[in-house]
Amino acid sequence: MDRFLASGRTRWIAFAVLVVAIGIVPIYAIPYVNYQLALIAVAAVSILGLNFVSGYIGQLSLGQSAFVGIGAYAAVFGVQQGWPDILIFLFSCAASGTIGLLVALPTARLRGHGFALVSLALPIVAIPLANRFQAFTGGATGRSVDWLHAPAWSRLADDQWRLYIIALIAIAFFLLGRNFVRGKFGRALQLVRDDELVASANGVDGYRARVLAFTMSSIFAGAAGFMYLLAVQYVTPNTMAFLSSLYLIGALVIGGRASVVGSLFGGVFYVAVPVVAGQIDASQTTLIYGAILIVVLFLVPDGIVSIPARVSVLVRRLRRPSPRKRGIT
Amino acid sequence: MGQFIQLVIDGFANGSIYASLALALVLVRRSTGMINFAQGAMGVFTTYVALLASNGGAIPSPVAALAALVCGFVVGAFLQWGVVRRFNVRNAQTATVVSIALFMLVTGICGMAWGYVVRDYPSLFPNAVLPIGPAVVSVQSLGTAAVVIVVVVLLQLLFYRTKLGLSLRAVADNPESSQLVGMNVARLLMVGWGLAAVLGALAGVLVAPKVYLFPQMMDQVLVYALAAAILGGLDSPIGAVIAGWIIGIVEALAGVYVGIIGSDLKIAVPLIAIFVVLLVRPQGLLGRKEVARV
Repeated sequence: MDRFLASGRTRWIAFAVLVVAIGIVPIYAIPYVNYQLALIAVAAVSILGLNFVSGYIGQLSLGQSAFVGIGAYAAVFGVQQGWPDILIFLFSCAASGTIGLLVALPTARLRGHGFALVSLALPIVAIPLANRFQAFTGGATGRSVDWLHAPAWSRLADDQWRLYIIALIAIAFFLLGRNFVRGKFGRALQLVRDDELVASANGVDGYRARVLAFTMSSIFAGAAGFMYLLAVQYVTPNTMAFLSSLYLIGALVIGGRASVVGSLFGGVFYVAVPVVAGQIDASQTTLIYGAILIVVLFLVPDGIVSIPARVSVLVRRLRRPSPRKRGIT
Repeated sequence: MGQFIQLVIDGFANGSIYASLALALVLVRRSTGMINFAQGAMGVFTTYVALLASNGGAIPSPVAALAALVCGFVVGAFLQWGVVRRFNVRNAQTATVVSIALFMLVTGICGMAWGYVVRDYPSLFPNAVLPIGPAVVSVQSLGTAAVVIVVVVLLQLLFYRTKLGLSLRAVADNPESSQLVGMNVARLLMVGWGLAAVLGALAGVLVAPKVYLFPQMMDQVLVYALAAAILGGLDSPIGAVIAGWIIGIVEALAGVYVGIIGSDLKIAVPLIAIFVVLLVRPQGLLGRKEVARV
């Protein structure tokens, strides 16, 4: 994709087209489609966050779903207290980010599988905790809210209004994420991933890079949790399930490692494939999802984001006869 | 006191099941460098095969379990040959996605073949209890622990007393050099996966009588096994087994004696304990420290 979108202008045109589409589609789409689009935005933002840790810094994280759940529960709390929406949003990000930071401070010392284990423990521990504190979380049945209706002047249905808000947050976070990874810090993360010794020789502290990446990742997940509650209007402990974290990692790799655009593709994959699998045979969703996952990984090991580059290589090969043929003529 | 002994032995039995699956994870990790999230699902598949082999109780359950172990070897070797070797699993993220996909595929196949219903699975051991001092211990717990100990000893003998074991260790240590001295690395990797799947199958037939048989039966066990494998250091088979036992016993004791934890949160205890251990020893209990060459 980088080659394909080499010039900044193509990038911005693609971005503008996307924004216009986001502006128009919700008005004409049926509520079901709007709902799926909202879920794609939620998944894309959590995958982008996950990418900081697992893509850019190359550290397997298996707990992203826990932070999405924390963000959603924080939003529920805000709604129950009757806070203004902006405050609820900030609280979702802050709650998830704070817990992320507290987890990261000791954990970032571990590398490799120790880190993976601690992140794995988060959803495993968070679900029984959420079940336990019923007064706050509503236990296993979860909490539902009736929140953020479309104002009368907009003449929009609730699902349209909510999708616009979700899309706005998603765009803001994607711009934020893009600036983050393109700036000094994104480069530092990749340096730490490629060689921590070189990184430290260049004055980049691997520990601090990991703490920051993980905290950023949980802030993004918290925002995704807020968006999730807005789209779905309820949250249960199951939102945090360990399997969701695994699926997020799967979608991340399918979309494209260490790529902002790839995170968007990953979000589409995360939401669309279960829908497609359900269309084929609703009782065999797991089997079909697994099959699609492995076939796509086999065809494009570097993710959907690498397809344009592969195509352009193919096209160039077709246009130019191979050296041997030229030798004959 | 009686309750304490009972809890320790029950925890030891559960820990043995975790140890078995953890050992499977370590074997795969050593041979192909990946964490196999599908290891539990593969164990579920072979447990269904055992149920099929028992033919409604006509065949004694230990024989059926043996069929599951054999089937496990075939399944493991086949998945390595048919799927895993076609991907660059030395990359951690690719490996993760491959094993997640396998996990879903195998779970999906079980669901398609046998449905997502909960089934009874006969225990390998008589449903009796033995008095040990002041405690009353179930034969099932003692048998589970004994079987796993025997298997671990057999495996240790295989790895350190046979030529096959020597070549398996050589491939785990250094695949390139093994290839250069003429070993059939591809086949040895298949054997490594097969042996791992045998251990997974063992965990499956041992846990099924306790939690009933259904496609997601092993998901919870997998979390414990992952924890045990990482606590043990991921490269150390003995470490994984000891860590499995520690987790089983700590969990059983904490669930009863620490009031606030109870049965739902007891899974948190070993995880937090591991966290503390890893902060002191990032390489795990018996793992080797990774040394970087500058």
